[in-house]
Amino acid sequence: MTGGNRSGGNSIPALAIEGLRAGYGRGGDIVRGIDLRQDPETILAVIGPNGSGKSSFVKTLAGMLDVRAGSVRVTGHDVTHEAPARRVSAGLAYVPQEANVFPNLTIGENFKLATEFLRGRAGVGPEQRERVLSLFPELAGRFRARAGDLSGGQRQMLAFASALLANPEVLLLDEPSAGLSPKIVDQTMEAVLRVREAGVTVLLVEQNVTAALRIADEAVVLVAGQLSLRARAADLRAADLGELFFAKVV
Amino acid sequence: MVAQLFLNGLVTGLLLALPALALTLVFGVLKFANFAVGAMLTLGAYAAWVANTQLGLSLPASAAVAAITVALTGILSDQLVFERLKNRDSISLLVASMGLSLVLENICRFFLGNASRSFDVPISRPMRWEGLRINQEQITTALTVCVCLVLAHLLLRHSPLGRAMRAVADNPSLAATRGVDRRLIARLTWALVGALIGLAGVLAGLDRSIDPQIGWNYQIPIFAAAILGGLGSPVGAVVGALVIGIAEEMSALLIPTNYRQIVSFTVILVLLLFRSNGLLSAKAVRK
Repeated sequence: MTGGNRSGGNSIPALAIEGLRAGYGRGGDIVRGIDLRQDPETILAVIGPNGSGKSSFVKTLAGMLDVRAGSVRVTGHDVTHEAPARRVSAGLAYVPQEANVFPNLTIGENFKLATEFLRGRAGVGPEQRERVLSLFPELAGRFRARAGDLSGGQRQMLAFASALLANPEVLLLDEPSAGLSPKIVDQTMEAVLRVREAGVTVLLVEQNVTAALRIADEAVVLVAGQLSLRARAADLRAADLGELFFAKVV
Repeated sequence: MVAQLFLNGLVTGLLLALPALALTLVFGVLKFANFAVGAMLTLGAYAAWVANTQLGLSLPASAAVAAITVALTGILSDQLVFERLKNRDSISLLVASMGLSLVLENICRFFLGNASRSFDVPISRPMRWEGLRINQEQITTALTVCVCLVLAHLLLRHSPLGRAMRAVADNPSLAATRGVDRRLIARLTWALVGALIGLAGVLAGLDRSIDPQIGWNYQIPIFAAAILGGLGSPVGAVVGALVIGIAEEMSALLIPTNYRQIVSFTVILVLLLFRSNGLLSAKAVRK
């Protein structure tokens, strides 16, 4: 979160995923061999039909679901078998779809908890806090408010801000528009753009295809745990996606 | 008469506050009702009795021994029992805590027998004030509990450990992404809970004779207090304990004292029927 220059495709990718496979318990694979490379300071939208494995994919990246095969690298560092907190220390922050703040804690306490137990992450401290507050001015001056009393949109902002306090290279967002009104969805997506402009790479898993494609640089379509398409977001239209979403994947 | 009963009830409520707070902390952080709270209180009373009468330590030093003993027992129980069951539902953990309760109570019975015992402390005359009779033990209990509650409040509200405990109580998986080690927090919670219950055991031993059933006498009021306040709410547990303590003592105006535990049972029954989240439940906050 240090600059605004987009890097070209030849630099070290912010996120590099190879042959990723994951699933729950003793069940079959939900994520079925995903290869993906994301350039720094871009927004990559991951879209797909319900049950396609989008949330499982992002949970695997965040370390909430064990990797069965493949690898995950963040700016060249292998985090495949790291615990969730170690991934944050390596520069990979995650905002879950729901329950993404601590509702019984205040905004100030959520801010403190965002970094006080992280070890070995550079760029974490008062300056980063000021940068984050400049991105989300609506949170400034409300540190005593309880997170559980915030509106859905405000809670998303707090979740983003808490994740960004760890000064991540890559921010994983799992359906940030879920449960929000259209107006708040627009505000949330604008916040995602601000995050990208601040120099953070964003991987955005989103069910709201129109909203996601409006802000993304690129998009991948996930069907049955596999990538079925990768394209520039501007070249994709929601109307074209029906066939892809419901196409049978071998 | 009424004022004396109120005072006695207030002190009884303060005594209940420590184990009720401990019960609600375990429920909040570890998500189950610890049925072993009474047996842990018994262990605390016996540990202090051994330190006081067998080793010749002063009562404050014996109280420290009791707090450490029960804290270590809590950590050991977590290591041997609860951590292994962490992915089971809360009923399984509750049943495991019932087993732990039997084990602890019978360890005390096996090594120290069934005889009633008491601390080696000088007998002091009660104070008289405005017609009220105030025992030295009541003053000791009130001061000890108030200091413990202030320290517990500072720990939970203003320390990184307290924030981590509340974060794990709120959302364990999100806490993990913030670097909070749930395993470590569970152990520290048991240590804190054990210390609180151990001290409560000492205060109970000042209030009545120490025997293997001493904890069981407090078990139902402790649960009633925690449920009344709203399981998971530390402030609610303390408020609930005061209400239960005062209500039980004041019930002597209406019913024989032998039946005063009926107050706790009635509170539990009424709450389960009409307000199962209690008065100050943490779940009142929107998720």
